[in-house]
Amino acid sequence: MAPRDGSQERISTPDTVEKGMATINTLRIGVKAFVEKDGERRKAEILSIKESKKGEPTFYVHYEDFNKRLDEWVPASRLDLSQEVEWPQPEAPTRKSQKSTAPAPKSATLPKSTVGQKRPRTSTTVATSRKSSETPELTTTSGNASKAVRPSLVGGKENRPGSDNSISVIAPEIISGTPKAEDSELDLVDIQDAAAAAKASNPQHNAPYSREEEIEKLRTGGSMTQNQTEISRVRNLDRIQMGAFEMEPWYFSPYPSNFTAADTIHICEFCLSYFASLQTFTRHRAKCNLLHPPGNEIYRDSSVSFFEIDGRRQRRWCRNLCLLSKLFLDHKTLYYDVDPFLFYCMTTRDSHGCHLVGYFSKEKESAEGYNVACILTLPQYQRKGFGKLLIAFSYELSKREAKLGSPEKPLSDLGLLGYRAYWAETVTDVLVEHEKNSRDGRGSGEVSVEEIGALSAMTTNDVLHTLQNLNMLRYSKGQHVIVLTEAVLEAKEKAKAKEKAKGTARRRIEPDRLMWKPPVFTASSRTWNW
Amino acid sequence: MTRAGALSQSRMRQRKLNTRAALQIVREDDLHEADDDLPRVLSGLDSGVEKAEQNEHHLQAALSASQAAVIGGKVAQIYIPTPDAVQSSLQYDKLYPLTYAQPATYVRFSSTVEDCAGCAYDMNEDDHTFFKSMNKKKDASTQCSEDQFEEIMNCFEETAQAKQPYAAVDSPPVLSYDEIESSMDDYLDDHARPFTREIYEHWKTRRLGAGNKNLMIGLKFETGADTDDADPYVCFRRREVRQIRKTRGRDAHSAEKLKKLRKELEESREIMAMIRQREITKREQLAVERQLFEQRANLRQVKLNLPDQYKEGDEDILINQKPKKKPLEIAQRAPGNQYRLPQRSDGRSSDADLVLLSDLLAEQERLLTIDIDTKIAQHQQWNVGYMDMTKAPLTPPLESDAGSTFRTATTEYLPTPPASISSEHSGDVTLDFSVLAMGKADSVAVRYASPSYDGPCHSQPSFRRRYGRGGRLWIDRRGMRLPPKAGFDSPDADRFKYDDDDDEDEVPVYFADPFDTESMQFRARLFPTPSSQAQMQARRAQMEVFSHGASHSSTSVRPSRQAGPD
Repeated sequence: MAPRDGSQERISTPDTVEKGMATINTLRIGVKAFVEKDGERRKAEILSIKESKKGEPTFYVHYEDFNKRLDEWVPASRLDLSQEVEWPQPEAPTRKSQKSTAPAPKSATLPKSTVGQKRPRTSTTVATSRKSSETPELTTTSGNASKAVRPSLVGGKENRPGSDNSISVIAPEIISGTPKAEDSELDLVDIQDAAAAAKASNPQHNAPYSREEEIEKLRTGGSMTQNQTEISRVRNLDRIQMGAFEMEPWYFSPYPSNFTAADTIHICEFCLSYFASLQTFTRHRAKCNLLHPPGNEIYRDSSVSFFEIDGRRQRRWCRNLCLLSKLFLDHKTLYYDVDPFLFYCMTTRDSHGCHLVGYFSKEKESAEGYNVACILTLPQYQRKGFGKLLIAFSYELSKREAKLGSPEKPLSDLGLLGYRAYWAETVTDVLVEHEKNSRDGRGSGEVSVEEIGALSAMTTNDVLHTLQNLNMLRYSKGQHVIVLTEAVLEAKEKAKAKEKAKGTARRRIEPDRLMWKPPVFTASSRTWNW
Repeated sequence: MTRAGALSQSRMRQRKLNTRAALQIVREDDLHEADDDLPRVLSGLDSGVEKAEQNEHHLQAALSASQAAVIGGKVAQIYIPTPDAVQSSLQYDKLYPLTYAQPATYVRFSSTVEDCAGCAYDMNEDDHTFFKSMNKKKDASTQCSEDQFEEIMNCFEETAQAKQPYAAVDSPPVLSYDEIESSMDDYLDDHARPFTREIYEHWKTRRLGAGNKNLMIGLKFETGADTDDADPYVCFRRREVRQIRKTRGRDAHSAEKLKKLRKELEESREIMAMIRQREITKREQLAVERQLFEQRANLRQVKLNLPDQYKEGDEDILINQKPKKKPLEIAQRAPGNQYRLPQRSDGRSSDADLVLLSDLLAEQERLLTIDIDTKIAQHQQWNVGYMDMTKAPLTPPLESDAGSTFRTATTEYLPTPPASISSEHSGDVTLDFSVLAMGKADSVAVRYASPSYDGPCHSQPSFRRRYGRGGRLWIDRRGMRLPPKAGFDSPDADRFKYDDDDDEDEVPVYFADPFDTESMQFRARLFPTPSSQAQMQARRAQMEVFSHGASHSSTSVRPSRQAGPD
């Protein structure tokens, strides 16, 4: 199968990208065209095409360098066809079973031809780096095997036309790391060199897991945020209604597949059950008597309460929660069940009940010392400081466990910003406190990185990164010092002033109000059922 | 030094950061510009975000904004754009009634969603239309309620699920009403019964419309088919049993646990057996008591029947005699006074118990004696059956050379010249010795004699002359006087052994070697103590006896002693 590699290698180089003018009718999945977005034109990839009710085609596009949550359906009018479009790569003849250009009807052969995973480069890179030790045949076989089980991306009708070739082209990165292999007589040394070079030139391609490995890891490790390479790219729900709010989902979530047809999915605010029609939802609301997350309240202050839910004991509720949060978390996977997790749910209270604001899940036993698996503030409550409160609570639990913790990776973009903000604030608070104490004659005014970590339950690595990000770690007079920079102090003052202006103190977790002991799971429960 | 130069140097000498080392916290103003490293912006850090997403436009914008803020720039906070949430047009208060009253204590709750959501079937639009039309035909008293309708639908669904679990796969015909009817009792109460047939038709229509699939839309779980693995709608797969790595430690641990469990089980079994034994014994005891009682009753009867004069007596065997209370040996102690020394029962003071040193010494002596006696006995035991051909096997062989034997040096101060010369001739050896030994001690008159048998031999210094290698002459000495122990040999004196006060102005004590020749000589000149005088006399008398003739019988010793001088 070496020729395939060769062709891909050739194709992947940017200068060979096939460009040309297109009309609405020649557009197909995989084409990259310029699409108007907020007044500017951005290059976007067409992921799906469907007929609108009026019979006009609409396109589901992913803007390059924008997060997937901004993917959207656009009418043809927003496509700028006055510029050239990039055509998707035609399939290599050796593995082609269907014509890439002709839209193939959805058929039994379809799954075999598609490679449309969200992070396809991951698996390919693994194959590449392994090539030195395996025969090329083996590698390709395994590659095909993983492809063979690939399904259609979206169950819906929208990706029917040309979905096969779309997928093979979606990510040219797949190919870029592949070593040049003109024929099967390629020297082993050459392969190694090429693989090494490819690796070196694409440092971001060294994600270490293949799909199989990842699923195995998911199974044994119990992690929920691993980036399963199999990710459906087109959002399946248009709108959800939950509690007093309506919002647009950000990502795909495996709600029942016929929900795709519904305009709005109703979600019960308390039991998180989902309903495709208002009638069923209304009937459900008449019967449902849950008023708060179905677990024990472990924290309560003037504004929020936290509930601890065991995934094993409240399987239905936790599954509902995961389905809901998958709508807003790209890297969450629902591949395996919720049993090995505890869910810490933050609610606000009023006389309607306890409204879920956000939650984080946590492995009952994390092999890698993670204190958070997934963390989410529901979109209707975002940018209100709840995220920081959730993070603070997760660290409070770690403090109670006398452990250092860190969130599971990968973080989402919002997650990274949220955590960085929390870390910066926490580390600054510790340092300011220390400095103040030493000015008052208590303490030495010195602190080690590990001490900061111990005080905040942050891992040493996170502390270090935070200090470096804030440019606080410097080298002076032959030794390292921590500098309370003007910028940091200023930010702190600003936050204080803001609080004053608002008249309300920033929400904080008060450790005294946490009534919680780290739950202990017996060996048997860990072995058999979590 | 140029800035660049300083910079490169500081880079060079920069050491690795020790995360355990305490770092000084300083303000930016305290930092000297010159020794500060340039503010370095570390952009290549591992952020933890998926690599492919790290370069996303909005994230990068937000990150660089915060980075700029770190360096001190004025930047407006940048948010990553997200689709907005809006207020729903539904009537929230209607759907979510105001029924929640927050408990005073933290909520504790373990009911599941299924427990709280009532009937699992929720009426949809089709059902509602049918429901309305159905009720229209009925008068108000016999109308079906929504709950009843849902219960009936739920019953159909559940039964179908139970009887045709693979309906979705092999599409069998829709379950007939009769088939369902049999299981209705489990689901429905009598009030719902009248509507079942009507609703069944509706259910069948819907079921047929859905390809005889479950009407209650559920999630897609794994079905065991190959397509499961890649189907994005299949979720919440079962996690197989978590493999536990087998290690020796774990094996040992579980073996230990099993052992412990077995031991505990055995112990409890033993306890049970013992309890059983106890109960059996108790039963026997009861039987005996009963027998006793009956016998006594008999006896009473017999006694009652006896003539009057025999009626008296033997009362004590008719009742159980309480065993006499033993006097309590230990006086009751006042509670809470546990630390007081217990009163001795014999009334002596508590410290009368203390052991005396003399007792200890005596005990030690006794033990020693016993030890020696046993050793001797042991030795005799060993020698049983052997003939001792040596004269005295445990003593060193006698020295054949008479000249090398020790001779006691009996010294006395003689105020007068030697009384008799005869003693000088008592033995040649003595003479020889005296000549040799007295070469230097010219002013001291020494008499030499055989050791006396009754005197304390050890206190008598004795000497021997022998020739060593190369003709050297040696004088061996033995039995020199031990250091004076006066005042310390009695246990009473010993009491103050450690009571010395360490005053500085104490008269210094000089210790002299008692075996020093000069001090020996000095001591020799001293007036003999009365006791030693008596000894001396005895010795002299003895010597006279010996000198008169070895053939004298021992009986003659006594008179000769008495006949000693002085």
